[in-house]
This record gives sequence, structure tokens and C-alpha cells, in this order.
Amino acid sequence: MSIYTLGIDIGSTASKCVMLKDGKEIVAKSLIAVGAGTSGPQRAIAEVLEKAGKTEADMAYTLATGYGRNSLEDIADHQMSELSCHAKGATFLFPDVHTVIDIGGQDVKVLQIDNGVMTNFVMNDKCAAGTGRFLDVMARVLEVKVEDLGTLGSQSTKYVGISSTCTVFAESEVISQLSMETNKCDIINGIHHSVANRVAGLAHRVGVRDQVVMTGGVAQNIGIVNALQEQLGHTIHTSPLTQYNGALGAALFAYQKYLKEQKG
Amino acid sequence: MSTEVFLNEFAEISEHPYRILSQYKKEGKKVIGVLPYYAPAELVVAAGMVPMGIWGSNKKTIAHAKEYCATFYCTIAQLALEMLLDGTLDQLDGLITPTICDTLRPMSQNFRVAMEGKLPCIFLAHPQQRKPAFGLQFTMDQYQHIKTELEKIAGKTITDDDLRAAIKVMNKNRAARRAFVQLANEHCDVISAVKRSAVLRAAWFMEPAAYAEKLEALNAELAKLPAADWKGKKIVTSGIICDNPKLLQIFDDNKIAIAADDVAQESRAFRVDASEEGDPMMALAQQFADQDYDILLYDEHSEQNRRADFVVDKIKKSGAQGLVLFMQQFCDPEEMEYPYLKKALDAAGIPHIKLGVDQQMRDFGQASTAIQAFADVL
Repeated sequence: MSIYTLGIDIGSTASKCVMLKDGKEIVAKSLIAVGAGTSGPQRAIAEVLEKAGKTEADMAYTLATGYGRNSLEDIADHQMSELSCHAKGATFLFPDVHTVIDIGGQDVKVLQIDNGVMTNFVMNDKCAAGTGRFLDVMARVLEVKVEDLGTLGSQSTKYVGISSTCTVFAESEVISQLSMETNKCDIINGIHHSVANRVAGLAHRVGVRDQVVMTGGVAQNIGIVNALQEQLGHTIHTSPLTQYNGALGAALFAYQKYLKEQKG
Repeated sequence: MSTEVFLNEFAEISEHPYRILSQYKKEGKKVIGVLPYYAPAELVVAAGMVPMGIWGSNKKTIAHAKEYCATFYCTIAQLALEMLLDGTLDQLDGLITPTICDTLRPMSQNFRVAMEGKLPCIFLAHPQQRKPAFGLQFTMDQYQHIKTELEKIAGKTITDDDLRAAIKVMNKNRAARRAFVQLANEHCDVISAVKRSAVLRAAWFMEPAAYAEKLEALNAELAKLPAADWKGKKIVTSGIICDNPKLLQIFDDNKIAIAADDVAQESRAFRVDASEEGDPMMALAQQFADQDYDILLYDEHSEQNRRADFVVDKIKKSGAQGLVLFMQQFCDPEEMEYPYLKKALDAAGIPHIKLGVDQQMRDFGQASTAIQAFADVL
């Protein structure tokens, strides 16, 4: 009989679920674009169960992670930090990974991995600069969709410097550039480099070793990935499952914990 | 009295220090506010008054103090002034303002100006060169100034015998705290991170003799218990202050015990005793000279990275697996020291995390994630 485990990643801006069969095969996944403190987690869980044609009772083990991980005590059997889950998920997708860069909605994490185990990590301080929230703010000011930033930035022909220190300062700079009628694509490219500067500084604190894998929603932005590759001097690997990486790691840990419980 | 009753009493005082301040005033006692760091509480005790430590607040936000403070002053200093301005500390009879860091030096003048005509502020400048004879003399001169000012507030002369008796009280107080820290490690199943902090924090608010007596009684109860069969992790804490119960609860939730500390508000404050023999003023000056391994103190052998080695040694001896550094926002000395500490920790293969904190933080979501992940790393 197959064993189904569920990983739920409740982030600050999105809720993600991954259902695994026998700890190896992704059966279904879901993503709702609102996170902790919203209806997002329940909707994401309902969606993943519906897609797989399963019920909560069919789940051998459910593990929650992410900023809102403690809010699912009635559903989850266990909760773990998203850093451990991102390390687990990235190792599943890229067995030779040594560095994971995860840019989430409100924080940036760089993880050092040795033999599939997280051995060190560093997080940003309490500041939105360099996070997904930073990009949300900039996209709003630029009147573009955040998911279009990557494409638009790639059309840049001229470098425009944007502060990497503070979201508020950077927002003012963007407004100033817009008032000078600077091309939006150039501004966006500057924003991508601003994020890359910030994240690269953090990454160097723990050390950057190949393979470097980028996870989290921001990894879908090719402009940031390219700017970061340039900054770090390392190839950055991403996956189509990048946004689900934390939930995937949670589902993998859920399977491990299920097996451990069975052994007694 | 049971261990639990003692712990609850310390927690009550730690949580509501200004209730005990009111109680002292009702009893007709005079109370002197003592700001960080290394102010000689012995002089306050010798004058028959109560020293009350002021280490900011985990409950207040800065409003009034903004009028006086640069934005890069740490919240400990700013919230101390806030409490002086918002009436929380109106019952104090005086204030000792040490000036050992770059924030406290100008801050001492902010306190003086803000409290003009309302509260006597007693300036204390410790010498950078604290060990040579001229440094000892400088410290004694400073302490003599404090003694004179305290005598004016107390309305009595402090004799050498008064001071010797006060030194004995404070030595007893420090010894009890040192013993408690050791026992808290051995019985970390009973003394959680939150409870450990409350016991040590209460020391700054209670009368030193009464605190020592109560803590000795708690220590005696703890000594009767079997050593903990601890299945969780153990860490050493470092930094200026880490006394927020909500933050410390995260350690308890993740089964992380505090094996020892290198924290200014905790162990750094009670490592060194004063001699109970000879000239008591010289004994206090020598006590300050004997302080060591503190980022705030000048180290003529700093090229040897002695302080970081001291912290590494503490981690190894305490049985801890890692270190959590509470980096107080805008604390230049701690920030500048960090690379040296990191170098020694890395060389010894000891994992650590650095958590940015300030006393106005109310949400610890990010810290919770980092601490939980650190437990996984350990």
C-alpha cells in the first residue's frame, strides 16, 4: 500500500502544498497567493487534496513549515523551520547542492549544505531590502506585474543604480527615476542588481560553493537570477518547482518521520 | 519553600520591577537608579539605600526620549530615559550614569539635562587603563565622587566599615548568582530559559542582601534535585541583554537549554568580587581592574583574541553545542567584536547564530525560524 505524506509551507505571501507518494513521487501540488493569517493555507490544503483525489485521513503524516507553521496544529502532525525544509527540498531536486539561496516574501536565507544536511545558515536582518516584498513594492510603483519584472528587466539597455540599503529609499529613487522619464526596463534592471547586491553580501557570510541552487518565488525572476550569478561568479540552478521547494522538503521530512514512527 | 514558589517569586519581581520600587518607597527607603555597566552598587548599599538596575524595558516604546536621543542610540539607553521621562521612575532618589560606551557617554548628559532639578544624576567615568596604579587611582577618585553625592542623598556619611559590610553583601549576592548559573545548567529541565532569565534579572531590582538570601535558598533546593537527563540541545548565550520572555520562550519550545552565558546583564556582571580586606575603596577599584573578557573594556592584549577564546572555552566547559549571539541594534562594541568572536568559534568548529534584537521588538517570527533551524543544525 502506498504511503502519502503532505508538506504545507505557509509563507508570508503564499501558501504552498506538496503531496508525496512513498517519499519519492509528487502526486499533487497547490499554491494560493496569500499566506499566514489568511484563508490561503486552508484553500491550498483543500486544493491539493482535491487534485490528488485524497482526504486528510489518507495522509500518513502531515508536516507544516514556513512563517505560519504554528497555525496548523489541528492539521499538521509536526512543524519544522522552513530553512531545514528548503535544505531538504533542494537536496531532493539537486543532490549535489552545497548552497541554497532562498528569497521569500519577507526574508532571505542562505543555507550551507553538506551531504544533504544543513550545516550552517544566515538570514537577513529585519529589513525588507532584497526580499520578495521589496520587489512587490517596486512593481507597484512601476505599475507592472511582479511576475513581468524578469522579462522587462531583460530588455534593459542602460544600467541605472538603485539603492540596496533600504526599501523606502529605493522606492524614492525609483519614483525619482520615473519622474526623469528613465526607461522602466532600465530601472527594473537596476532593481534586480540592487537585490543581487544585498543577497550576495549575505551569501558570502556563509560561503558560496557549487552547486548553488536558488529557491522561493523570486527564483522565477530571471533578471534576479542573472544578476546574482554575475555577483557571485557561480552558476545558479533553479527548478520549475522553486516555489514549492519548502513544501516539498516538508513532505520529505513527513515521510521520514512516518517511517521513524512505524519503527517505533 | 518549593523550587516552583521561589521561581514564581523571582518571575513576579522580574516582570513588575516598579511594584517593588513602590514598596521600597512605602517602607521609607531611598532608591538609586543604576544604569549599565559596572557601577559600584556597594556604595549605594553602604549608604543604606537600594540600588535598582535600569536595563531599558521590553514593554515600552520610545516616544519622549526621541527629543533627546540620536536615532542610533541603543534602545536600552533610550528606554531608560523614556522611563525617566514618562513617570515610571519618578520615585527614584538619584541616578548613577556610567559612561563606558560611546552611547552612554553622551547619554549621561541627556539624562542630566532631562532630569535637571528633578533627579540628581551622578556621573561616572571609568578609566580606559584600569589596571595600572594611575588607573586604580582614577577609579578611586571617581568612586569618591559618587560616594560624596550618595552621602548627600542619603543624609549620612559612608564609613569604611559600612563599605566593607556592603562589599560582603554584594560578594554574597554575586556568589549566589554564579552558583545559580551552574545549577541552572545541571537542572535545565527545571530551570527553563525563561525562568533562568527571570531569576537573574530580578537581581537588578531586589535589595542585594534579600536577593542573595532568597537565591541561596533556591540554590539549596536545586542542589537536592537529581541532575537533568536532558535530551534537548544546550547553547551559550552572548550579548548585552536577552531578557525578553517571549524571545526566550522560543528556546524552551525548541528544547534548547542555556548552559551558560556571556551576557552583560547576566554573568559579565557577577564574575568578579571585591576584596573584603584592606582599604574598601581600593578594593572596589581593584575589582573593576580585575574585570576582563568584556567587549566594553580595554584589552592591552587584544591581538591575542583572549575574549573570544574565553567564550569558546566557556562553551566547551559548559557542555553546550553552540552559541547564540543576541546582537543589540546599534551596539557598536558588540558589532565590532563579532568578527573576532566568529573567527574563534569557526576555528573551534562551534556553530553559532547572530540574532538582531532591540527592546522594541514585539514579533519574534524570524528569530523563531532561526532558532528552530539552529536546533536542527546542532
